[in-house]
Amino acid sequence: MIGGGKSYVSAPPAFSNDAKRLLVCTGTAVSVFSTSTGLQILSLEGHTALVTAVIVVPGNKALSFCWTASLDGTVRYWDFAAAELMKTIDIKMPIYSMVIPALLLGQTDSKVMPADAFAYLSVENTTQDNAPKALRGQIRKCSLTESRLAGVILAETRKPEVISISPSGKFFGIRNKRKLHIWRAPAKDSKLPVAKITLHHTRNFTLLALHPTKRLVAAGDTSGRILIWRGFGNRKFSDGDKLVNQGSMNDEEGRPGIRGDDDADSCTTWHWHPTGINLLRFSSDGAYLYSGGKEGVLVDWQLDTGKKKFLPRIGSPLLYLTDSLDPSLSALSCADNQIHLLKMPSMEITKSISGIKLPFSSPDVYEGICSKFAFDDTDGLVALRTENYRIQFYSLFDDREISEVQVCERNHQPGDEVSVIVTLVSLSGDGSMMSTVEVNLPEDGIGGLVCLKFWASDSQNKNFNLSTIVYQPHRDAGVSALAFHPTRQMVVSSSYGGDFKIWVCSDEIQQKQDTLQHSGWMCYAVGSYKKKPMTAAAFSADGSVLAVAAETVITLWDPVNNMLVAVLGEMQMPIVTLSFAGNSDYLLSISRGSKPQLSVWSMSKLSESWSYKLDIEDVTCAKDSSSFAVLAHLPKSSTFMGSNEPIFQGKDGVILLFNATDPVPLAMWSVRKAKGGGLAFLKGNSFQQQSIADGKSPQALLAYINADHEYILFDPYDYDARELRMTRGKDRVAVDETARYGYASIYGELPQFEMKRDQTLLAPYAPSQRPWETIFSGSSHNLLPLPKLCLEFMESLLERRTTTVE
Amino acid sequence: MAPSNIRDLLTAFNPSLDLFAITSGDGRIKIWDTVKGQVQTEFTDIVSEEDTSIFAKRERGHLSVDYTCMKWFTSERKKKRKLGCSLLVLGTGGGDVLALDVAAGQSKWRVTDCHAGRVSAISFARSGSSIYTAGADGMICEIDSLTGNLLGKFKASTKAISSMSVSADGKIIATAAAQMKILNLSDHKKIQKFSGHPGAVRCMIFTENGKYILSSAVGERYIAVWNIDGGKKQSASAVLAMEHPAVFLDSRCIDSGEVGDAGLYVLAISEVGVCYFWFGKNAEELRNAKPTKISVSSEDSLSETHRGSPAIFAAILQGIAKSASGQIFVATGLPVKPSFQKLLVHSGTDIKLSSSRDGVLLPISQSLVKSKRGQDVQNRVVALDRANAEDALLPIPKIFDSHEKKKKHEKLRFDKDEVMADLEDSRSLSGPVKTKDGTVEFELDTGAICMEDRLRSLGILSKLDDQTIKSTLNSAAFKSIDIQTNMPQKKMRAAVLSMVPSDTYKLLGVLVAIWQTRSSSGNYVLPWIYSILVNHSHYVMSEEPETQVLSSLFKVTKSRKAAIQPLLQLSGRLQLVVAQIDKATNTGNQILLHEDQKDESEDEDEDVNEIHFREEDDDSEISSDDEQ
Repeated sequence: MIGGGKSYVSAPPAFSNDAKRLLVCTGTAVSVFSTSTGLQILSLEGHTALVTAVIVVPGNKALSFCWTASLDGTVRYWDFAAAELMKTIDIKMPIYSMVIPALLLGQTDSKVMPADAFAYLSVENTTQDNAPKALRGQIRKCSLTESRLAGVILAETRKPEVISISPSGKFFGIRNKRKLHIWRAPAKDSKLPVAKITLHHTRNFTLLALHPTKRLVAAGDTSGRILIWRGFGNRKFSDGDKLVNQGSMNDEEGRPGIRGDDDADSCTTWHWHPTGINLLRFSSDGAYLYSGGKEGVLVDWQLDTGKKKFLPRIGSPLLYLTDSLDPSLSALSCADNQIHLLKMPSMEITKSISGIKLPFSSPDVYEGICSKFAFDDTDGLVALRTENYRIQFYSLFDDREISEVQVCERNHQPGDEVSVIVTLVSLSGDGSMMSTVEVNLPEDGIGGLVCLKFWASDSQNKNFNLSTIVYQPHRDAGVSALAFHPTRQMVVSSSYGGDFKIWVCSDEIQQKQDTLQHSGWMCYAVGSYKKKPMTAAAFSADGSVLAVAAETVITLWDPVNNMLVAVLGEMQMPIVTLSFAGNSDYLLSISRGSKPQLSVWSMSKLSESWSYKLDIEDVTCAKDSSSFAVLAHLPKSSTFMGSNEPIFQGKDGVILLFNATDPVPLAMWSVRKAKGGGLAFLKGNSFQQQSIADGKSPQALLAYINADHEYILFDPYDYDARELRMTRGKDRVAVDETARYGYASIYGELPQFEMKRDQTLLAPYAPSQRPWETIFSGSSHNLLPLPKLCLEFMESLLERRTTTVE
Repeated sequence: MAPSNIRDLLTAFNPSLDLFAITSGDGRIKIWDTVKGQVQTEFTDIVSEEDTSIFAKRERGHLSVDYTCMKWFTSERKKKRKLGCSLLVLGTGGGDVLALDVAAGQSKWRVTDCHAGRVSAISFARSGSSIYTAGADGMICEIDSLTGNLLGKFKASTKAISSMSVSADGKIIATAAAQMKILNLSDHKKIQKFSGHPGAVRCMIFTENGKYILSSAVGERYIAVWNIDGGKKQSASAVLAMEHPAVFLDSRCIDSGEVGDAGLYVLAISEVGVCYFWFGKNAEELRNAKPTKISVSSEDSLSETHRGSPAIFAAILQGIAKSASGQIFVATGLPVKPSFQKLLVHSGTDIKLSSSRDGVLLPISQSLVKSKRGQDVQNRVVALDRANAEDALLPIPKIFDSHEKKKKHEKLRFDKDEVMADLEDSRSLSGPVKTKDGTVEFELDTGAICMEDRLRSLGILSKLDDQTIKSTLNSAAFKSIDIQTNMPQKKMRAAVLSMVPSDTYKLLGVLVAIWQTRSSSGNYVLPWIYSILVNHSHYVMSEEPETQVLSSLFKVTKSRKAAIQPLLQLSGRLQLVVAQIDKATNTGNQILLHEDQKDESEDEDEDVNEIHFREEDDDSEISSDDEQ
């Protein structure tokens, strides 16, 4: 079992003292990367939930200790050179942010832990009920030496906030809507309570940064302004240490830009960013301020003059800037799951650590029709659509990116309005061909264009070259599904316009000096069924049958002769996914909406074999057996969530493994973040698999990708390993194993569990509210005689008048 | 083709095969990411961290170092899956041995002046943490892989050692100059001696099971296979011929795998970059085995003048997929831009790889050609506009379409009628004839349809149906049933109960068909159906999945039921109209009577009208498929 696909940018990373290593929070672990090669060296594993903060203990270059905090409610202390856990403090509240001022306050002697080290934690108060106005976020003080929470709650906020600390360790603060709260960390042995000031603004703040030496705070707001207060807290904080506060008179004229009675000398505003600020950080010498936002440009402000320098074309929204003790090295975290290492004065990207591309949101209209993932099951790759009109190929076995293919030749600026969406991507069985569909969004209703593209690659590295582009493959209608023929070079595309097309690749050998393969795709056949929108398509395992869903019915075609073979139906909701269950003669259909359904159709009997009323997110079929796995959403009913069964805590989906002949699932796993997730059976080669399954070579591996693009690979048939994984399950991605009794225990509970065996082949004739839609349908023997029909038909067209005959 | 020479290249794959180190020995090491096909990192001037000590006077610059051998070391401690435990171990011409932690990008340790003279070979056992090096001074050094401490040193030869290898179990070591010696590692005692190579051995490995040594010397065009436990036998037990001298060897052997898997697999790369693959079930068979060659297809004449044509310069046997075929991971192309591939090599089928020119800097004259080709590449993109389906396989012409569907429709309906088919084969024969007749006719005269003709033809057909059904009814099983007469309920029940369940089921099918085709009045048929359903419900239910009689019965009932409402409406309106007319003319009595009659004969009317309607409207043909 291997997991991966973690986000590298869920929390700010941290440099080691010698700046040769970078500690990155990756899911439940902290990964240590080398800054010179960009390769992962080791990982610190032990947390059971997302790690939210990592703080390296400063000091000697040889020191390699760090504190981490996590949503599992623990603070841990590690030696990251040896990857050893040294101490665990259990707070029992999810920790969202942590700062330890004592580490920065100049105690850089070799002492590993200061005697009275306090950490300030931003925790979520989970004991409160879900009242809408509840203040769930708390700032608490925690004694690291005594391993307990100490003191009172410093502040309460609606949500847990991120704590910012000044590099000197003297001040730390949070934003709270339109206010900033700044505390001064108490001196080492002072018993004074923590002093606090508040600064106000007219807009919501997004974040703040504190100057390393001066009393200066910079804060960004949602409109892209940067506000800089100088000399904050001169009145309140000055009692302890008499710092330079020449202008602390209380005359309003002397304090430009200060709102009300805020405790600061002056406030200046800079405005360059068009949208909210995500990144704000002072340089280590305090002369510069770095800022960044959604537009993906790092701005370098000279603090005294306000002069700007830019690092543009990063290509993704910026999240964090981390500087190291080596002044020439910084790390810039971007929203596309990349960490760029910057050579600092020149702001030059020297290296990038990139992970799996994170999900992005496309306009809602297209959300439903976008295919989420395409899997190459032999190489163990997943193809993901990325925000910048690319397809990323990510190796699930190696947990690293293989290549990116630019689908649309178009520059992506993160702030821009989306004008093109890559909606569908499909890979051929051997992984050598790819087809994509992109939609140019219409501007003011004009110019919408659908484009179908075929790609071919020759090498293992997935360097795909465009071979054919088809503009408007189905006239103006959108493409609903793409499917490759399992063996031949054949693709079917189905459209909402009511037809499907079969495309074939014609290979030609050019008579040049060297044989260049010229392969163009062309339309081979067109089919339609009653002008109904075609919503899904699939080839059978041997490629002899093509199943196309015409909204609620399934039509079966002979793809070579373009002949309708049979019609199956009908469902209550449009079918969104079709899939043949491996080499067995079963076909799966999935419909969503108000009446979701998973149906298994027997091809030999041309009838429904069994069905479940389950809301299915994704389905995958093993290639050479009749088993298939579905990812189903857990119903939102309170009986489930409120049940005291621990296996469903925080889970919103289940993976069910079925044999197509049997409606009782073979196995079940509950997972998190199933909405938008994906499943796939991978074959891989046996050499890689052996390392996953402890030397055994399993039949197939099941890959589950959740909505955050974290994934896990496991052997679905390995019943022996269940127990083992159950213990490990929690700290891995999001998959917990449940033993078989888990299913039995909920079997009775499933409220919408309904087996519909013996579905009739022919749906009964049922008169509906709009009779002319159904009045003429139906086989001849149960049709009404013409006069009756006429009467009813005319009647339905006419308005009924309530006049009485005199 | 100017043969490129890959002799001077040092290459190494890391154990998980996702990194590849290559150096031409001049002090620069490039680490390639084999998955992405990109340079991951480059080591030019390796400065170890503790270099500020007395050794600091060493001259700098990568040209001052020359690497003579390189190996990627792993200790097989899989339980502690630390990523940092793989080291790239290098030997230099100056006798130093250094280890690089590639992931961390820094030097791990360095043993200075380990050998007097150049380090010629590095080897290690599969398990264990020691690294063995051999040098030109004839010494073997044992180095701890974690710390870089020199653990031991012994003299293995009086001459310079050109190659050295440690067996997989770490018990014996083989050293070679021109003469090969097998030594016991624990007490450094000589076990065996082989002589036969004329020159210095360049590469030498143990097979996995430690039974054979494969070796190849400089300038030799063969690989010698030596049997270790062969006692005093001095000659090679097998000789594998090649066209060029070998520079790299790899082997796998499976002793006791599944049946047919066992055998020796040998992989070698020659100086010109051609990969050879042998398979033999044992050493004797290996001797006669023909090599399978993997080569890179020679480029066009342009590159011949150019230095270095593409070659395979590294390969590793990843595993054995099945008998006589191996999974090989190769690095091909030019050393400046290798590309990596997994190959499945079957013994006996040569493989030619195509090479790409990615990343190669070419002189201007050729870059023109190149750019031209670039245009070609662009031109090769086929673009289709919205009229893309013009010469597609025709989307089934309309008439043909309906014909097809009708056929299917008929077929499906026929499936439903299987009950009857069971009873009498003749019916199943007449069925298709019927459909053909109907549809052919339909196809021919879709333009102008003579209603009467159609009615007649179908009327005849329905008569045929009637006949078959009647004949069924008359058959032996159903003698007791007289459909046409009104039987009392009790009698009916007794008759039904007296029948075998399977017979009643057949009867049910027949009755449903009768009712459906209206060959007999519902008044007579329905009590029978009712009686059967009541008395044999279990059996009927059990048969239902296959034959669907109940569903068709249900459907018919439903449709009849649906008809009742409009019929009543119609009769009501007619009554109203008649009443009004009556009022006006005062001659209503007769018509009213007539109306009542009509109402009663509605069932018969339906029969005709239904057919009538069906041929009238084309749409209904299509939509009737809805229900299938």
